[in-house]
Amino acid sequence: MTAAGLQKPEPRAEASRPRGLLSHSGPRLVRLHLASRRVPGALAALALCALVLRAALIWHWSLGNGNGAQQLPVLIEAGAASIIAVTAQSPFGDPERATGRWLPYLRLGTAVGLTAAAFGLLAAGAAAEHLPGGTLDILRNMAGMTGIGLLLAAVIGGALAWTGPMAYMIVTQFGLIGDWTSPWVWPARPPHDAGAALCAGLVFVAGIVAATVRGARAFREV
Amino acid sequence: MTLTDAPARPRPSDAGRASPMSLWRLLWLELRRNAMPWMFPLLAALFVFDPFRTAMGYGPFWDLRASVLENKLLPDFVAFVAGVAAWMGSRDSRRHTRDLVDATARPRWTAQLTTWAATTLWVAAGFLCCVAVLYGVTASQATWGGPPWWPVAVSLAELALISALGFAAGTFFPSRFTAPLAALGAFLLCLEGFRNAVGRSSGYALLSPTTSVPDDDTGLFHHYLPDVSIAQLMFLIGLTLVALAILGLPRAADAGPRPRRAAAVIAVAGLAAAGTAIGLTGTARTEAYGTVIPALHDAANDRPIPYTPVCGQAAGMPVCVHPAYRNFLPAMTADLAPVLRQIVSLPGAPARVDQVVVNDLIPSNGAAITGVPPVLRLPVSGTPDETSFGQNAGTFTSYLQSTLVTLFVVGARGFVSMGPPAGTPGQQAVELALLQQAGTAIQTGAPGRQPTKADQVATAARRFAAMPAAARHAWLADHLAALRAGHITLAQLP
Repeated sequence: MTAAGLQKPEPRAEASRPRGLLSHSGPRLVRLHLASRRVPGALAALALCALVLRAALIWHWSLGNGNGAQQLPVLIEAGAASIIAVTAQSPFGDPERATGRWLPYLRLGTAVGLTAAAFGLLAAGAAAEHLPGGTLDILRNMAGMTGIGLLLAAVIGGALAWTGPMAYMIVTQFGLIGDWTSPWVWPARPPHDAGAALCAGLVFVAGIVAATVRGARAFREV
Repeated sequence: MTLTDAPARPRPSDAGRASPMSLWRLLWLELRRNAMPWMFPLLAALFVFDPFRTAMGYGPFWDLRASVLENKLLPDFVAFVAGVAAWMGSRDSRRHTRDLVDATARPRWTAQLTTWAATTLWVAAGFLCCVAVLYGVTASQATWGGPPWWPVAVSLAELALISALGFAAGTFFPSRFTAPLAALGAFLLCLEGFRNAVGRSSGYALLSPTTSVPDDDTGLFHHYLPDVSIAQLMFLIGLTLVALAILGLPRAADAGPRPRRAAAVIAVAGLAAAGTAIGLTGTARTEAYGTVIPALHDAANDRPIPYTPVCGQAAGMPVCVHPAYRNFLPAMTADLAPVLRQIVSLPGAPARVDQVVVNDLIPSNGAAITGVPPVLRLPVSGTPDETSFGQNAGTFTSYLQSTLVTLFVVGARGFVSMGPPAGTPGQQAVELALLQQAGTAIQTGAPGRQPTKADQVATAARRFAAMPAAARHAWLADHLAALRAGHITLAQLP
């Protein structure tokens, strides 16, 4: 039998209109995009980071006072930024780019939303405990490191984008011990330092723009 | 039911042994398909940025420079090793090829171990490249000794453990988030190990390879004691075996009795090694020249290393140092000469200066003026080179001169670990005056403030230092015994 011998199917009745908010195309698209980026898993991992931060503050895992005490919070902030960076990875690659008109907005929403969620979770983890630098430090450090992760995701792909925040964190550890004053090493600066906030903000904006416009590079997976 | 749930078919009795060549081919395949080489540019940049720069700031002493392997290079590596190992461990699950590879001829555990081995081999290759650069440069600068290999072995063992833990995490929890979380966990472990080792909250903190920077003269006068390194190796290798065995246990149940037995034996051996290391570390005791674990200690290491000192002259007196300090002898004689000129021919003034080993257990670090004729036994805990810890030519000069002056005026009891300087105000004023004459600045209080005891001492010191050199020398010759006994007050100083 060939295709020519097939009968055309009867026209179907008009599909019933979707019921419920999540059945609408917009929210459904958002839900599917978040699922494809493993956002629920990312939120769980961020919550784990917040728990580690809380445990570190309760049981005083930090090294000494002053800048040495910042080492552990900066490590956890880098971990949170790494998690946000790897969510940029798309499982679909080019087909998604070719068909997704709303893709840039979805990427923007995911990156900003996850950064906000990470800040909220870490701030909650540090609540009622003495966090060196305070919550303003969390916001600045994590936003900047998230920017690094998203920029790296645009260059090498999302899968290994976690290496960016981690490498920056290691450099920062030297800066904290050595009392570096460069605003580009923002975790080593006081929370109200305008130059450090500006540098971190610039990197975050650059990362968000890269994530929105380009997304993570579809790289050959190893 | 999936392929993985299907019961394993018994091995036919006439089946031949698998060719070892296929295992090599598998390893070669894994080496080619590994993610670790992608990390090398980043690790190379981090190596140059911190460990190498820090090591070059130290004097050209083998053991001192080798300490950056465990204190700097290892922390740089662990986050990336754990992350990449987790990434490789979760590969089959991420690619949804687990069923496919489970059906291959090799037991899955063997294939997993091959992937881990390939990752670890790349890690070791990268680490050894950094060691080669560091040791190569040190070999061109050092004037004594040879490269220490214990820190290299311990570092490689820790990297193998981190790789095994990361790989196991990736295997059991395959997700895109496993790699960053494993990296975070590994660095956290490293940071906490360092905190405990530096704080020495318990003797078991010795199991952490990262710890404080050793003295400059470590391994020069006495052999490097490998006791702690041996215990660390046992501990790290033992835990690595346990991690790898745990990796195999779930699969070994289906793979037949031989892999099951092998996994169990490896796990027990690993636990025994780690437990023994923990037990041995509990018996460790800190001695003057290192940490001793009696069961692992080789008495031959207690014998001092023979050497022929290198000597120079400072104010007509011989100054002799270890050959490793040959390059710093001119700086040392230049720093000591201004003080020696002021005290020459006074009672108790040294007729010779000999470098001795630094003893961290006492506040004076082993500095003393002993013997007839008196010999200044001078431990040298730094170099004139600038380091990232704030040491430079100025601090080196200040250390040498203040050690000599303190010993001459107050004696060994003039050194304190913490708190205000020892000695009476009169003694402190004379010390400051001698140092001022030697070119070391005296700190004074802020102007317009009520004078404190320190200000009074500084004022008296300036007054004493302003005297003609001959008059000062004569006064010291007359009053040195009373000054050393603490009977001279600030008012009695001329």
